[in-house]
Amino acid sequence: MTLPEAIDAHPVRRVSRRLAQMPLLVALAFVVVCVVVMCAVLAPWIAPYDPSLQRLDVGVSLPSSDLILGTDTLGRDILSRSIHGASTALVGPMVIAAGAFAIATILGLLAGYLGGWIDTLIMRWVDFMHGLPSTLIVIVVVGVIGGGYWVAVAVLLIAFVPSDTRIVRSAVLEQRPRPYIDAARSLGISKPRILLVHIIPNILPIIVAYVAIDFAFALVNLAGLSFLGLGVEPGTADWGRMLSENRNLLLGGNPLGTLVPASAMILTAISMNLIGDWLFEEFIG
Amino acid sequence: MTLASATEDFLTVQDLAVSSGHLVITMPTSFHVARGETLAIVGESGSGKSLTAKAIAGLLPPGVIAKGSVKLEGCELNGLSERDWQRLRGRRVSMLLQDPFTMLNPVMRAGRHLDEVLRDDPMFHDRKARRAEVERRLAEVGINNPAVADHFPFQLSGGMSQRIALASSLARDPEILIADEPSTALDVTTQAEIMQLLKRAQAQRGMSLILITHDLRLAFSICDRVLVLYAGSVVEIGRAGDLGSGPFHPYSAGLLLSEPSATRRVKRLVAMPGRVPVAHAVVGQCAFADRCDWVEERCRAARPALEQRAPGRFTRCLRQPEIQGELDALRHAALEVAPAILARPANERPAIKVDAITKVFAGKTTTHALKGVSLHIAPGESVGLVGESGSGKSTLGRCLVGLETPTTGKIEIDGIDAHDFEALQPDDRAYLRRTVQMVFQDPYSTLNPRHSVGKTLAESLRVGQFSGDMNVTIARLLTEVGLTADYAKMRPAQLSGGERQRIAIARALAVSPRLLVCDEPVSALDVSVQAQVLNLFKDLKTARGLSFLFITHDLAVVRQIADRIVVLYLGEVVEEGSVDQVLSEPQHPYTKRLIASIPASTKHIQGAAEL
Amino acid sequence: MGSGLVRLILIRLAQAGPLLVAVSLIVFALIYLAPGDPVRTLLGAKPVTPEAIAVLRERYNLEDPFIVQYLKWLWQMLQGDLGRSISGNRRVINIIAERLSISAFLAAMSAVIVLGAGIGLGAWAALRRGSWIDRLTVTSGVLGISSPPFVTGLFLLYLFGVILGWFPTFGAGANFLDRLWHLTLPAIALAFSVMAIVMKITRAAMIEAMVKDYVTFARARGLSARRVLLQYVLRNALIPVITAAGLVIVSLVAGSIYVEVTFALPGLGTLMVDAVSKRDIPLIQGTTLVFSLFVVVANLLIDILYTFIDPRIRFEGVKS
Repeated sequence: MTLPEAIDAHPVRRVSRRLAQMPLLVALAFVVVCVVVMCAVLAPWIAPYDPSLQRLDVGVSLPSSDLILGTDTLGRDILSRSIHGASTALVGPMVIAAGAFAIATILGLLAGYLGGWIDTLIMRWVDFMHGLPSTLIVIVVVGVIGGGYWVAVAVLLIAFVPSDTRIVRSAVLEQRPRPYIDAARSLGISKPRILLVHIIPNILPIIVAYVAIDFAFALVNLAGLSFLGLGVEPGTADWGRMLSENRNLLLGGNPLGTLVPASAMILTAISMNLIGDWLFEEFIG
Repeated sequence: MTLASATEDFLTVQDLAVSSGHLVITMPTSFHVARGETLAIVGESGSGKSLTAKAIAGLLPPGVIAKGSVKLEGCELNGLSERDWQRLRGRRVSMLLQDPFTMLNPVMRAGRHLDEVLRDDPMFHDRKARRAEVERRLAEVGINNPAVADHFPFQLSGGMSQRIALASSLARDPEILIADEPSTALDVTTQAEIMQLLKRAQAQRGMSLILITHDLRLAFSICDRVLVLYAGSVVEIGRAGDLGSGPFHPYSAGLLLSEPSATRRVKRLVAMPGRVPVAHAVVGQCAFADRCDWVEERCRAARPALEQRAPGRFTRCLRQPEIQGELDALRHAALEVAPAILARPANERPAIKVDAITKVFAGKTTTHALKGVSLHIAPGESVGLVGESGSGKSTLGRCLVGLETPTTGKIEIDGIDAHDFEALQPDDRAYLRRTVQMVFQDPYSTLNPRHSVGKTLAESLRVGQFSGDMNVTIARLLTEVGLTADYAKMRPAQLSGGERQRIAIARALAVSPRLLVCDEPVSALDVSVQAQVLNLFKDLKTARGLSFLFITHDLAVVRQIADRIVVLYLGEVVEEGSVDQVLSEPQHPYTKRLIASIPASTKHIQGAAEL
Repeated sequence: MGSGLVRLILIRLAQAGPLLVAVSLIVFALIYLAPGDPVRTLLGAKPVTPEAIAVLRERYNLEDPFIVQYLKWLWQMLQGDLGRSISGNRRVINIIAERLSISAFLAAMSAVIVLGAGIGLGAWAALRRGSWIDRLTVTSGVLGISSPPFVTGLFLLYLFGVILGWFPTFGAGANFLDRLWHLTLPAIALAFSVMAIVMKITRAAMIEAMVKDYVTFARARGLSARRVLLQYVLRNALIPVITAAGLVIVSLVAGSIYVEVTFALPGLGTLMVDAVSKRDIPLIQGTTLVFSLFVVVANLLIDILYTFIDPRIRFEGVKS
């Protein structure tokens, strides 16, 4: 009798085996994310200058031995601003992705498992929100309220909930008719326990994968609002903000003022997307 | 080794080996098909039968390659370009697949599937002529209503779709048709109709047919010769009659005996131990050696050759001449009839009483799944609930365990009114949960993939108000279902279908129920594994005195396991009685039709017993 | 079947109704969403004189209950009266009309790229699975999904506008060809991320369709490769692509705002962002309404198109 290749039953070992077989690109993605996290946490120590230190006497300057990436129109150090920008690029998207999925998980579980009028109600709302041009409304609402980082985060979080709810619900619906759920029901196991012990562990990988993908999406959206001048307060070291402040430096002056934060943003977003896709394929597909 | 490749052979397959990368899927295989002949390729899942069929038609999925030669009247097919294949397929070689619901293009009307094949023929350039031809072709497969041609596939039943597919695969009148399990996905009565149509079309055209199937009865009933495939190797080839009455290979013999008979109840099914290995793992030995009772050193030393032992009969068993007597004797012993089922005392108090229950599913279209069904099950009795898809048999089972609530009617279990579990006192509900348990059909999703076997059983044991040493009890349960204590640490993904089904049975047994509702528990399993699980049910019945409600579409399974039969048709009980009575002298036309649709070959198998 | 289709279209129209009401309600409520007194918001930077306040109260019916205000406002909107811009004191509808052509041109150009290149490359990659074109498509897909239009735009602007100098870095062009030349970089920037979605879906759907039984069965019957590809693989693979078309439209509209700002194009998007930064409420309301109307109507058309492509929807609709 031949057993399948997967002999080891231990879940930790299973995960570690998959980690060991991670493709190079995904490993690089993890490295990028780690670097960004370190920048965000250690910014005050590793950034060579105060990010908002203005040196009008220096003004725009190209990279030099002193200022590795040069300065912007106000003479602020691009490198320091880029390093400090990591924190707004991480915190907000993290709150958006995790928060939206926390709400969506509750709604999705209710809709998918309980069904009936609760499902109808939640899904009507989700469909309705999907029909609205959400990005547009986010821009207008954040703009009219008066902008601000946390306003942008909150509005984006709400805008993310409907599609996340749909993802969770369809994952629940995929599990619910399976006989192992029926078996638990016929054993008389309570609904909360079935949700907690049987359904959530089986949909968790999907949620984790989508949180990573949502993170990338939130990063881009939040930076976009800052780019339009609606996210972070003026003067804050933020990648999106730097793009709009230094846009004209592309045409002459110091193009790195836009190229560096832009690259940082794309790299982070790509990494999170790669990680999300990889999680999806490894632990679900 | 050349297998009688006489000139009259129409299709000659020589050393055809299928592989994917370095993975062996089938070992070099040789056989031939004569013009007008029907060859069955029989095997369990994993035998490589489907890919062998696809390799012949040049339709292997990407990444899978075939080596060797496939000659059609001397013309080499293997390695033809897609352009050359296009000219051959449909006209000379055509293929019919298994699942009627996925074979037709979902966005194309049914008739177009015929129309587009006829289009190239100059005779049918005219639209009207083509339409008339489509109608004629549909009539050939028993569709007399031309309006069906304008339907989309999703509007058709499985049987209807399969007819359209059959007509369209025959539209260019191929010289050989490869049919890959063409009736497996259909209901029994529809199965018989499709096979009849296929045979008739074959006879009219003098067409050759290769039938790929796992169903031995079907193979013996309609095929001239049978080829038995096991783990990528041909183990036996012979005329259907010869092979059915005295197989030359221990695997063929075992397979024949595992197949439950619909006409007689045996004491115990012969179940081959273990499961089918992957072809790759048994390349250098007799593929069957690990499960064979007659295995010797030399069986593992090298891969035996396929040898002719009698006119037209080939086997890959080295020891066939010496063990043939034993194989035949085994068949005699195995077919020993079980003692008759004792009639139950008339005044016996039933443990479960179902009284005129109905179940209506509201929705876009209201479905009346059950229309006033009554039945009863006595303590220790096995009742077979027989019906096709849509009969409501599963709904009835789910009502008994409280997964569905009947719309009207009464269910009484041990004197407790159990028609609505939610409305019960918590104590009563808990009692019922421990009294009635269920085993489900699909072994692949019956267990929570994230829980180990031990965790699954422990959860069930805790529900059953268990006290004592959990690990010991889990080990005991595992032993009871024929596994070892080591399985407790495993996860479902590591187990085979049969093993998972055993765990599911153990999970139900953990609460010490008195009735087990089994919803098609063996229909997803291979024949050899099916026999193992059926034997397990027989053992449990004697050891635990369990009552069973056995929900199935398979009359042979019912014959082996049930005392009494209830036949359900479109939500109504149409016939009820003891197994012998109902299966031998059916009264209702529907029951008669069910029995008539069992492929008639069982006589081959039976014939052997009366040697 | 004909009447079923009509009914289905009517149902879709009925569903679009509440959406439009919701959008207009949100747009109207913007006056109240802004911090502070609506009159001050509407006045903007203008001097606070009793006359000005009176005019505004009259125009926006600020004395009436909220719902009456809304209904009166809605009535004005339906008559094409979008009010006057605060900053320029011009009719909003005229300002929008001036800016519309650039945005429409940009969106149309991008849509052509998205559909043509997205579906084409996705299909090509699926057919040559594992080849360099496939790998390039998958990689650029991840890149596209991760790079928002304004970032792509900045890179394109720098590379092709500043360093290579092939395309202009400013302006929208005068005549058709000039405009085509001016809007090439913005259109590519806008299309890039949206195209990635279409490409990914097309590729996945094609790969899925190619291993379907109906494709094997079609080949088994000797149908020509062309017919199998067009009628069987592509026809079925396009269904999920059309499902995603709504997402494509929304992304194009949202993306166009960013791209116009990035390339400093005088389109509707920049108009809206300017209005937002100046708190010019009537102008914000006007531009948002135009964008939303476009999205809702486009979605409606896609839904109707969908029923033509997928017979299952059409007939299920009849049954219900």
